[in-house]
Amino acid sequence: MDFFFGLLQIIGVHTLLGLSAYVVLQTGQVTLAQAGFFSIGAYVSAMLTVLAGWHIIPALLVSATLAGIVAGIVGFPALRIKGLMLVVATIAFGEFIRLFWFNFDYQIEKQGISVGPQGGEGFKQIRFFPENGWSTLDVAIFIWVIVALVMLALWWTDRSRAGAVLRAVGEDELAAQSVGINLTAVKVGAFAAGGFIAGIGGAIYAHYTTHIEHLNFGVMLATFAIAYPILGGLRNVFGTLVAVIFIQGILVEGLRFMGDWRNLLFGALIVLAMNIQPRGLIDERSVKLVRGLFTRDRRN
Amino acid sequence: MLDSKLVRLGAVAALAVAASFGVQSEVSSAEKTVQIAGFGAKSGVVRSFGINTEAVLNGAIEAINAGGGVKLGDGSMAMLELSFYDDRCNAEEGISVLRRIAGSDAVVAIGPTCSNVAEPLFGILQKTVDDEGDSGLQIPVFTDTAIKGGLAKISQWAFRNVPNENQMYKSLFQWISSEHPDLKTVYGGVEEDFAHSRFTWHKVMKERSPEAGYEVLGESKWLLNDTNFTTQVRQMKKAKADIVAISAHPFTTCGVLKEMKRQRVKPSLLVGLTSSSSMETLQGCSEQAEGIIIPTSFAPVTPAAKAAADAAAKFDGSADLHSAAAWEIVMILKEVMEAQGITADGDSVDADRRKIRDGLANLKETDGLLGKIQRTDEGEAVKPYLYVHAQAGEWAILHDPSQ
Repeated sequence: MDFFFGLLQIIGVHTLLGLSAYVVLQTGQVTLAQAGFFSIGAYVSAMLTVLAGWHIIPALLVSATLAGIVAGIVGFPALRIKGLMLVVATIAFGEFIRLFWFNFDYQIEKQGISVGPQGGEGFKQIRFFPENGWSTLDVAIFIWVIVALVMLALWWTDRSRAGAVLRAVGEDELAAQSVGINLTAVKVGAFAAGGFIAGIGGAIYAHYTTHIEHLNFGVMLATFAIAYPILGGLRNVFGTLVAVIFIQGILVEGLRFMGDWRNLLFGALIVLAMNIQPRGLIDERSVKLVRGLFTRDRRN
Repeated sequence: MLDSKLVRLGAVAALAVAASFGVQSEVSSAEKTVQIAGFGAKSGVVRSFGINTEAVLNGAIEAINAGGGVKLGDGSMAMLELSFYDDRCNAEEGISVLRRIAGSDAVVAIGPTCSNVAEPLFGILQKTVDDEGDSGLQIPVFTDTAIKGGLAKISQWAFRNVPNENQMYKSLFQWISSEHPDLKTVYGGVEEDFAHSRFTWHKVMKERSPEAGYEVLGESKWLLNDTNFTTQVRQMKKAKADIVAISAHPFTTCGVLKEMKRQRVKPSLLVGLTSSSSMETLQGCSEQAEGIIIPTSFAPVTPAAKAAADAAAKFDGSADLHSAAAWEIVMILKEVMEAQGITADGDSVDADRRKIRDGLANLKETDGLLGKIQRTDEGEAVKPYLYVHAQAGEWAILHDPSQ
């Protein structure tokens, strides 16, 4: 079972990463900066638990808040650009953050051992979970409580006026502005919320892997971040979850036995899935189908 | 229509899941077996390392099984059986693979390929044996390839059979100094984003060469996925060093060597990274690599080493300093299993893992393909080594420091 609990942990972390991009995508902005915010959450939380001896929960909240603030700051210049320019700008930001960690060296002596981020060597011994006796199941539950809270918050937002505002900006900025929506607040707010969620994911990720280094937070991770909500569908938060299960559970873990063929099939299956469900794995039709199944059940 | 599309998508998913969780559980139940799990990079840029390791493991296990297998604590014999997993040289996947192995009947895990996988993976193991407050995994992991210095001390469940590069390069630079007293300067080239290459240049070559009297003039950096080395080689050319030391894996080592030839950079001596003393380098750039000197812990110069090389070839792999270590690991494990009297009865997996761990921790010296291997208290190995150089498309022995 340990393996399945471990897999649940990975799926939980990647769901948070995907949801961080989901929020920003709602406003029609395509961002590849999420890996950068994810790395801020990872490094800052690890420094707080390893160097300062904090508990994981306050470390997670502080690091996620910091990631959210940085994301908000990034959101302002991003207001001036959109489309492909925004993609390029956010890639550049993500690389800037990654290279910052590549050059960041801050170590202290703890029980005769140097601990802390060490540039290209990475940051090792982030062992809050095992050192505090958390079993794999405990960690999985911890992660999924957080994932559930984030999903609940986003699900509620989707159904509230705030969700309608986000979608209005995403659909047509000019029309949204003409009805009095503050574009700056909405876009920056979405960036900050996405950064906060990515920061939470990064904080958990660092403690899941026990070792982080700049290479973990490259363009590939940023691509996955936006691939999850796009593949899953932007209609609701569950699409992102389904896409993460599809990619991490089936394509990455499920096809492991196929060796190099896995990489080939990985792409092919994503293309196949997008052809079968072009509006995302969870689109309006599939939601109606599920609803219909339940309605039929009730009639029977 | 919609239903059929969803059914099709569901079928693809179900098939994939069924395949993944079913294929690897094919186990013969006819005879008693000891399960061993191997893992490493079998896909991606460094896939050849995992492929070679798997081939050598299969060869070693076949050799042991042909000799009757492993003697268990109750006096019966058991065959060794291998499952091998691909971790794609990715930390997350490596952790997932180790959790899968820990949940199986495997009594020991052999791997991984990459140091950036080994480092987090050792971190999820219990740090100190019998520490009840530490919920880390409790399965011995014996590493054949991940060579970055000092990793085994992360956990008492981690062991490595990788060469000690500090010792090898210290000895190499001193030998070069005595053989070529006219050479005075060194310039480095480093694959900066790969843990092993980076460590070996910054913490080994760059520190050991001045101890042998060399002046380090500078360094050029590139990345594992780089394909253009013009600027780096131009820097190298400008430095006019007597020795160029390249700390990079075969893929970029060949790229740099080809660019050096194009720019007519001809140092008096070339020194390479341990991992580049492999067939990949010769296949990729034997002409440009001519003369490069590399310390290695493997060469087919003893009957046992030749047997390992032949066995690897039989399973479509090649034995080099990394994969050959997997052969030694299997032989060491056989000795330890027999000495510790594991039972391999299915209910004793945890106890057997503990016995193997304790047995490995108590080892002081083992047999290796080139001679005796010393074991340190931190779970590391001190292996015999040779200097080889590329000569006419082959790795030829240049010097044996033990002679």
